[in-house]
Amino acid sequence: MLIILWLIQDLLTVFTGGGMQIPGLFMLGIVFKLLFNDGSDDGSIWAIWAAFSGGILWDIRWIGIPGFFSLGYVVVVLIVIQVWGLIPPQGRESGTGLIVFLLLEASQLIPPAIPVLVLGGSTGWNYFLMQQVYSLPAILLTMYIYVQKLKSINL
Amino acid sequence: MENRRSTAREFVHGLTALILALFLLGVSSSLGVMKSIVDIWGALLFIPEYPAVVMREMFLGWRSWSRDKDILSAEVTRLKSENATLRLELARVAGERAYSDDMKPDAKTARVTLRAPMSWWSEIRIDRGRNDKITQGLPVFSNGYLVGRVSSVSMMSSWAELITSSSFMIPAVIEETRELGVVAGDGNGSVLLRYIPAGRGVRSGMKVSTAMIGEQLPPGLPIGQIAGEFSPGTDGYATYRIEPGADLSRFYTVSY
Repeated sequence: MLIILWLIQDLLTVFTGGGMQIPGLFMLGIVFKLLFNDGSDDGSIWAIWAAFSGGILWDIRWIGIPGFFSLGYVVVVLIVIQVWGLIPPQGRESGTGLIVFLLLEASQLIPPAIPVLVLGGSTGWNYFLMQQVYSLPAILLTMYIYVQKLKSINL
Repeated sequence: MENRRSTAREFVHGLTALILALFLLGVSSSLGVMKSIVDIWGALLFIPEYPAVVMREMFLGWRSWSRDKDILSAEVTRLKSENATLRLELARVAGERAYSDDMKPDAKTARVTLRAPMSWWSEIRIDRGRNDKITQGLPVFSNGYLVGRVSSVSMMSSWAELITSSSFMIPAVIEETRELGVVAGDGNGSVLLRYIPAGRGVRSGMKVSTAMIGEQLPPGLPIGQIAGEFSPGTDGYATYRIEPGADLSRFYTVSY
């Protein structure tokens, strides 16, 4: 599933030709999986290295310098593991909407911010801000799917 | 205890991944092999990315075609307007020339001696006849524009059928578009141009003159100008109202 999301993200970037910043579907998928992790460290470790690999491939494809997105992706995964780990599994199903939203938002905010911070330039910031706008519908859609899945589990 | 070990493993893996990413970020720019790796990865992704490339080209082509179409459409509209203006100007010049031709010294004039109220828009009598070399079918003018043609001739006078007569029908041409039609009166003071194919860009102000396919009238005699569309017609042909160049309500003499 993550491979498909990575490819969709890549195909959409090819289709727009860089004229429009595509939401980080791959990272939304990883965060989504982590939100339903049963607490086993295998799932978390798998997510760390999946994010690292996906980031490396993204860097090689679109940045040319490996490290930018892989670093950002790993940071996001560690943040999600730590924050989500602070909430007891029994309390994750209600009243955590804002936290879920912030975690999903972090997955869209941190990775593209690193190359902009390192490389700089007003154009980079413009693209970064545009991506945040375009990411919002994807985040809301992911939240909707998250809620639907929670409902189906509780039925 | 188990939970703490699990957290420690996550921490180790996370820290390793972070260090590795930072290491790659630090050294990859100086590695000569990076360019080859980027090229190879790009080549591998070429196949799955191909549909997106094709769709992008199609989208760009469509957008370009749409933009070009708008530009061309605007250009065509501009050129049409310019063309119509030039044609009107040309017609105006041609009309002035026709008027001056009518005023040439050898033009003969005849006085209108009778215009019966019952046939006000149909015929007039003039004071010139066979003795003055008037022949049947001879066009008569007022103010340089065709007002009718001689329908019957006697020794001292002649009758001329007016272009507003319902039985008056002559082939005519719109000078700007070269569309052929038939000029006919309606017996009530109006002159119509019939049988013009619809949608040929006929506009008000375009000049109408006799066509060379007429049997009796020579071509190029000015009649008037298009005043507007009378009826679009249901058979693909439109009818236009003609504003005669001559003032058919106030003419006391005609030239021939």
